Amino acid sequence: MTRRYWNINLEEMMEAGVHFGHGTSKWNPRMAPYISSKRKGIHIINLIRTARFLSEACDLVFDAASRGKQFLIVGTKKKAADSVARAAIRARCHYVNKKWLGGMLTNWYTTETILHKFRDLRMEQKMGRLNRLPKRDSAMLKRQLSHLQTYLGGIKYMTGLPDIVIIVDQQEEYTALRECIILGIPTICLIDTNCDPDLADISIPANDDAIASIRLILNKLVFAICEGRSSYTKYVINNKI
Amino acid sequence: MATASATLSSLSSLSLHTTTTTHRLSFSKPTKPFFSNPTKLPLLHSFPSHRSTTFIAKTSDIDTTFFENFDPNEENDAVFNPPEAPEGFVAPPSFDDGPMETEEEIAAAYEELYGAAYSGESYLGNDIYVMDSKVRKTTGFGSKAKKEKVKDGLDERVVQVRRVTKVVKGGKQLHFRAIVVVGDKQGQVGVGVGKAKEVVTAVQKSAVNARRNIVSVPMTKYLTFPHRSEGDYGAAKVMLRPASPGTGVIAGGAVRIVLEMAGVENALGKQIGSKNALNNARATVVAVQKMRQFSDVARERGIPMEELWK
Repeated sequence: MTRRYWNINLEEMMEAGVHFGHGTSKWNPRMAPYISSKRKGIHIINLIRTARFLSEACDLVFDAASRGKQFLIVGTKKKAADSVARAAIRARCHYVNKKWLGGMLTNWYTTETILHKFRDLRMEQKMGRLNRLPKRDSAMLKRQLSHLQTYLGGIKYMTGLPDIVIIVDQQEEYTALRECIILGIPTICLIDTNCDPDLADISIPANDDAIASIRLILNKLVFAICEGRSSYTKYVINNKI
Repeated sequence: MATASATLSSLSSLSLHTTTTTHRLSFSKPTKPFFSNPTKLPLLHSFPSHRSTTFIAKTSDIDTTFFENFDPNEENDAVFNPPEAPEGFVAPPSFDDGPMETEEEIAAAYEELYGAAYSGESYLGNDIYVMDSKVRKTTGFGSKAKKEKVKDGLDERVVQVRRVTKVVKGGKQLHFRAIVVVGDKQGQVGVGVGKAKEVVTAVQKSAVNARRNIVSVPMTKYLTFPHRSEGDYGAAKVMLRPASPGTGVIAGGAVRIVLEMAGVENALGKQIGSKNALNNARATVVAVQKMRQFSDVARERGIPMEELWK
């Protein structure tokens, strides 16, 4: 993997508040190498290590995107849900921003059947057949459709299991992380001082509470994905012609 | 607290390889900060033994070889040297700035990349129902044809089928639990469990489960083990021993079935401890996983194989 320049600025990270951890009483001692000090009862994360991990993650993501792999971004915190959706749309990746249904990846067969139902419902809505049914039935179907849209809207273009999964908060998305570990899917995870850095494949120690810090890290990763994709499309176009 | 933890960390780095007697000697140096809270002193004796275990990071099977020169004690020496920025590098806009793309643009872009998967609409003229061929029909016209055995060369043998009951308010609910061992006779085996209301379904479920955890058995030229081994799972303990050619498999119940499906011809096995079939099957798998071929050991230790036989 060649190392590229990702515009990772330590001052930028300090401004966004990436270095703030959680309270000292809630820490996980396995995070000890990544914590630099304690201030006012809050652990401060060592940003040099964060920057190194972030650049490694960006390199990995760039490489994977330039080979045409599929990504999935998972972030269900209320604060972060919106930015996760926008980041994923910008990078043309799949995303989950409302609740992560248990077994979405390990029980992929069932998820596929629900996706089929979602697609059929959308087709019916487009054809206008929903309006021809009696009011109660059409109301029920419309409610089901809106449910499916919130939970599965981000993965409706996913044909198989993703190749790399990016998780925003390890404590919130513990089920998602566990599923990826069982299936052997490489994961990139944003780790705070109360999380376990050994679970994910690349763990980026950062603040997962502040929206600014999540946005900063997602920005870098999305930029890397876009760059990788553009080189992939160039390769595909060159080879097809 | 900070100073106490810093001194304790320096103590533990000294104490990693020393015995407890030297701990008390090193305690005499920084006693001054500890006088302020005398309640800490009795805890200090228990600290080093558990500090040295928590301070060493657990080995995980994730590949972290790029951080091999990583010393957690050298905090101030960590340096971040990014590669140089290319000339004319313009920071890209954040994903939130910039005009919002319309839904059609987004859908078209996604479709270019992934095809019209489950979206139900197509802007580039792809077939919307492209995913229909992937649905496995469970009911309806074409379903009977799918019930044939999955052809991947693995043979199944049922170890035990038991009828288990769950007592609910209305009475007893009966299920069947099947334990199946799956293997080709060339060194791959797997043990699986499955429960269902009918025997046949239970056997199928357990076969699916067995195919998910397959283990390879190290075998020598004469179709036997390289050395003795013991494995335990729960209360079941199994002892396996290699045998000379012509012996056959001399083992009881579950152990015999696992070894036969693995293709081992000559072996001795004994169930020590519990006689539970499932646990014994799993214990033989554990025992077999512990075995190493001579070539593997020689490679790991970096010495030629002749040294091992001395």
